[in-house]
Amino acid sequence: MIRSNPEELIRKTIARFVDAEIIPVAQELDNKGEFPREIFEKLARMGLFGIRYPRNKGGAGGNTTLYCIICEELARGLVSVASITAMQCLMGTNFLFHYGTEEMREQYFLPAMRGEKIGCFCMTEPDAGSDLGAITTRATEVDGGYLINGMKTWVTDGPEASFYTVMCQTDPKKRLRGIGYFFIPRDFPGVSTSPRFECLGTRTTPICEVAFKDVFIPKEYRLTPEGEGLNAFLKIIAEIRAMTAALAIGLQRAAMDDSIKYANERVASGQTIGKFQLIQAKIANMATNLEASKLLTYKSAAMIDAGRDALKEATMAKYFATEAACSAADECTRIFAGYGYSMEYTAQRYYRDTRFLLSGGGTHEVLQGNIARWAGV
Amino acid sequence: MNIIVLIKQVPNTTEVKLDPKTGNLIREGVETIINPDDLHALEAALALKETHEAVVTVLSMGPPQAIDAVSEAMGMGADKAVFLSDRAFAGADTWATSYTLGKAIQHMGEVDLILAGRQAIDGDTAQVGPQVADFLDLPQVTYVFDIQAVHADYVVVKRRLEDGYERIQCRLPALLTVIPGAGKPRYPMASRLLLACREKAPIQVWNAADIRVTTAEVGLEGSLTQVMRTFAPKFERRGTMLEGGTVDVVRTLTAHLRENKLV
Repeated sequence: MIRSNPEELIRKTIARFVDAEIIPVAQELDNKGEFPREIFEKLARMGLFGIRYPRNKGGAGGNTTLYCIICEELARGLVSVASITAMQCLMGTNFLFHYGTEEMREQYFLPAMRGEKIGCFCMTEPDAGSDLGAITTRATEVDGGYLINGMKTWVTDGPEASFYTVMCQTDPKKRLRGIGYFFIPRDFPGVSTSPRFECLGTRTTPICEVAFKDVFIPKEYRLTPEGEGLNAFLKIIAEIRAMTAALAIGLQRAAMDDSIKYANERVASGQTIGKFQLIQAKIANMATNLEASKLLTYKSAAMIDAGRDALKEATMAKYFATEAACSAADECTRIFAGYGYSMEYTAQRYYRDTRFLLSGGGTHEVLQGNIARWAGV
Repeated sequence: MNIIVLIKQVPNTTEVKLDPKTGNLIREGVETIINPDDLHALEAALALKETHEAVVTVLSMGPPQAIDAVSEAMGMGADKAVFLSDRAFAGADTWATSYTLGKAIQHMGEVDLILAGRQAIDGDTAQVGPQVADFLDLPQVTYVFDIQAVHADYVVVKRRLEDGYERIQCRLPALLTVIPGAGKPRYPMASRLLLACREKAPIQVWNAADIRVTTAEVGLEGSLTQVMRTFAPKFERRGTMLEGGTVDVVRTLTAHLRENKLV
């Protein structure tokens, strides 16, 4: 039986889309800093937002590995387009898919798969990032539902979203055991957003604060049942880290491809700079780090697909691949030398975009602590 | 209506590199794609499907890895596919290719419309579409860029000419070779791509025996032409700079044109 390999087929298709539709306009999109609506709609028409969900429930019937392949290829074109897609495929719709009622699926999930509605994820607060037990956004049970009060920040896609999945504290005494996820449509009374943040990188990704003041939601809008919030978080965080690692691989590839092209063109002292050993060393390190990043990342994705606990592997992948992306972007600016400092060339964008990846999915300072603990100290 | 679209997997480059020793195409490391004109033929078929009751079947011939072109076509919206893959088909010239495709089409049953790209970017012959039509004894229209109307027994199309276009009514069944028109080929849908990778996908893989041909009729053996050598032609044009005042330059130029019988 002759059949295509799904992973190769999806990668090839997305790669062609990226080469034709994203790379030629990436610089312009980044300069404008607006939500890439046209590209978002094209991605929706390709059915990519449902890649992780079953086909009979509005998805494409793929898995985490395919999701990571899509994120990687898109990030090769523009990290911000990839991050917007990543949010819509995973964090923005995951809890709605698993815990939402049939009516909520019809009203919000399926339109999100078609790109008609945008979903996003509210976790971080002004005073609580990786320390999730410290979140203060409160869900208080009232007659017929919950009242939500609090403030979320660094909400990716927040300014464009139609609905939010919000991590709330139901009982401050329980700290991490008291957290749960709640579904809040943006148009509910008491929901407000700040102006979008001015950010260093991923400039087409809109980010803002979202405030909830006495927002009443019906009880079925509590997504995770009592006591299951932490487990749900631990389940999704591995996939978030594998995805972030895939974004970092995409960025590494872009930085390396441009570096190689430039090193083979630019002439100094009568030869292309790629002939100089110190430039070769930079390329060698990029290529080696890239392969190592792929191995870590796709191993963790395969583990998730196999239903195994992949938190350690995904954390290592996110940490390693993102550090490698920082290094690749840095070396890219050095290979480009003066042009690496110019806003007309791509190197500066790679350099700026790495900063988005550093904190998303957990800061490396926290992740290294986790990895060391798992290693036995 | 039954529409068959002929597609070919080709290397994604217009600057084909040749192995200087063997004269063969260097395919290693070159990405493969559906031939661009074939993509337009498929897009035209899928657009027809949106307005007419039609079943679109893709037909392709190639080595096993060319299944990706078939899967991609399924991802774009083709209903089913037939993939001709057999070592016996290898090395076919345009005659043997057309014969093989024609036999497969006969084996596929009733067809109302066959669409093919004008030509493939690797061979640039533009022969296969017309030869398939000839083999099947069907009317053909080449260089079609707009299918304006499809009726039960005829089709109205526009075909590109060097200095304009022709509007042609052609009886069905017919074969059209297509060039890029207004509709940009759509991207495949992820869910359809994944379905095409499954064993139970509606993709039939046929060999020589399946289409009732002998190995002597197809592939290299069945080819009427043989490639003796492949090479990149050298262009050795030399320009001549005319110097002097305008009147002198024009006189020299016109004399030169007359002398060479160019005017």
